Amino acid sequence: MSSHRDQSKLIVFCGKGGVGKTTISLAFALSQADRGRKVVVVTSHPLKELALSISLDGLKEQHHRAAANLFVTYLSPQEILKQRVLETIPSAMLGRAVTSSRIYKSLIEVAPGLKEIAFLGRLTQMARERSQGEDAPRFDLLVWDAPATGHFLQTLKVSRNFHAYLPGPLSALGADLADFFSDSSRLALFAITILEEMAVEETHDLYRSLIQEVEVQPSGLICNMVSPWISAHRLAADGTEPGQPSESLRLLWDRFRVERLFVERLATLASGELRMVERVPESEATVSFLFEISRQLASLGGLDS
Amino acid sequence: MKIRIFLGAGGVGKTSVTAASALGTALVQGKHLVLTIDPAQRLRTALKLNAGMASAEKIPLDAYSPKGELWAALLDIRASLDRMVRHDTPAAQAENVLSNPIYELLTSSIGGMQELMAIERIHQAMEDGFESIFLDTAPSRHALEFLDKPEFFVDLVTSPMVQLVGRSYKWWKGSMLEKLSRKAFEVYTHVESLIGVQLTRDVLAFFAAFQKTAEKYAARARKTLDLLRNPEVTRFTIVSVPFQARKDAEYFCDEFARRRFYVDSMVVNRLWPPLPREMPGELPEAVRKSVEWYRAVSAAQLRKRDELVSAFSGRIPSIISVPDFPPDLQGLEALHSMAQSLRVL
Repeated sequence: MSSHRDQSKLIVFCGKGGVGKTTISLAFALSQADRGRKVVVVTSHPLKELALSISLDGLKEQHHRAAANLFVTYLSPQEILKQRVLETIPSAMLGRAVTSSRIYKSLIEVAPGLKEIAFLGRLTQMARERSQGEDAPRFDLLVWDAPATGHFLQTLKVSRNFHAYLPGPLSALGADLADFFSDSSRLALFAITILEEMAVEETHDLYRSLIQEVEVQPSGLICNMVSPWISAHRLAADGTEPGQPSESLRLLWDRFRVERLFVERLATLASGELRMVERVPESEATVSFLFEISRQLASLGGLDS
Repeated sequence: MKIRIFLGAGGVGKTSVTAASALGTALVQGKHLVLTIDPAQRLRTALKLNAGMASAEKIPLDAYSPKGELWAALLDIRASLDRMVRHDTPAAQAENVLSNPIYELLTSSIGGMQELMAIERIHQAMEDGFESIFLDTAPSRHALEFLDKPEFFVDLVTSPMVQLVGRSYKWWKGSMLEKLSRKAFEVYTHVESLIGVQLTRDVLAFFAAFQKTAEKYAARARKTLDLLRNPEVTRFTIVSVPFQARKDAEYFCDEFARRRFYVDSMVVNRLWPPLPREMPGELPEAVRKSVEWYRAVSAAQLRKRDELVSAFSGRIPSIISVPDFPPDLQGLEALHSMAQSLRVL
């Protein structure tokens, strides 16, 4: 534990778009916050957009402790860079002239990796943040609800591959990032997938890229929105067969078969844990929905101890 | 000439819906193209799509006695951009652009690059004489930005700073410097000190060389966008799944209204068909629980679909449900079944 006492541990949830990264991130963070840990979720959705799909209404009233310890934030790379410019340029007027100039706006869009460096720089800074007069980090856990696979990998690669910036003012930051992400005691990464063809294909690609290109070993794989049957089947040592399909159960059997096929394909990947999270048959992502998911995530990554 | 554009988040089956819709049309008459970005392996096989393929391929539909033709092509961003540069820039300069390291990064680092190239590809397909194009957009909420920025490249490359630096940075310290106003020079120096001198100049030099391509692109893109604005030519369809449908409808309708485009129809994909009412008596515990679970999920999906229909029937002229197909149904056969549900579109 001592190696990350100087900074918060970073938990990353990544995967294809639509597999439930944000839900899982929030559910996990919520249960940790409810145990009294200070948790901040860095989401890839602007908060206004997030509020459209997930509601934390009633959290304060019903789960006082969780509410007091849970923080949710969105980091916009453009805003981070703008702050940096305004801080480094002494004259506010000139600072504004720079950030509103066309050349600046164009360059931050196209300069390779610049937005990603800015984002990761802010993320590691948060991990090291201290409360005033405190010795321990401000947050016990930093949960990164990562962007969808392609953009996520592109972001991580920047921490290894910043040669374009070596002669420039950002070189120190690049080196610092490479250092941060190479220390596995500070980082636990969980891939999330659903049991559908494209998501499973993409999970295979994600694992390959993580291990080969950014040298990060995932701590586990979460299969989200599975049926109660497949999660029971995974647990049962005897590998219960669904038996001879009767016509009335055909739809269910079809679903089981597909799920089993995909779980088998995924099992070849799994270093670390393979977790099943059942689909909750509710359509609104409310606080009770999130707590229901978080029960299924109990002791993920050994973090409950 | 008709253009059909399918929009939606990742993982909702957008590519299948696009391809099935094109298939349904091709069975009736005419020559149609489905243009897709990143299909799953099975669909790739069904549509005979290979990475790096240069042109559209005709899909054999003999099993369904078609009266028209279906062609499919993969939108390869790098290949489209290469073609654009070669086509619009003098040979010597084209090589300069293509071998520039910034060019490598361009395809991956600019958000919306897929959409910018999609517009280019629509233009090409029209020249190839397709009666209609079914376009499957990138799985991103930024997909709509392409409607806003046909001038994107031109904006970048025609900035006076880019032109000045790009053309003159070798003799930067010499005569051209005076042409910058003091304030502009100061701004530039700060940008350089933020990003790094070399990188800034490399990027600007690249864009100066890219200018011809960008201007010609913008001229074509403007024409294509006029077509996209014309409801006689272009129709937009939102694709979603039951639990996300309401949110997606709200988002896309708002974004479209803001741009004065209109959503024509919506597909609610992967609706679980209900289980029969009667169940065999004795079921193992895990199966019984799963039956209850399936019924609960399927009922919640139906409820969501109905809520969507009552909230949006005034704003979206046509809302269609497509069932979740059994997994054994693959390839063209699956697309054909889906096309039946989409017939009303």
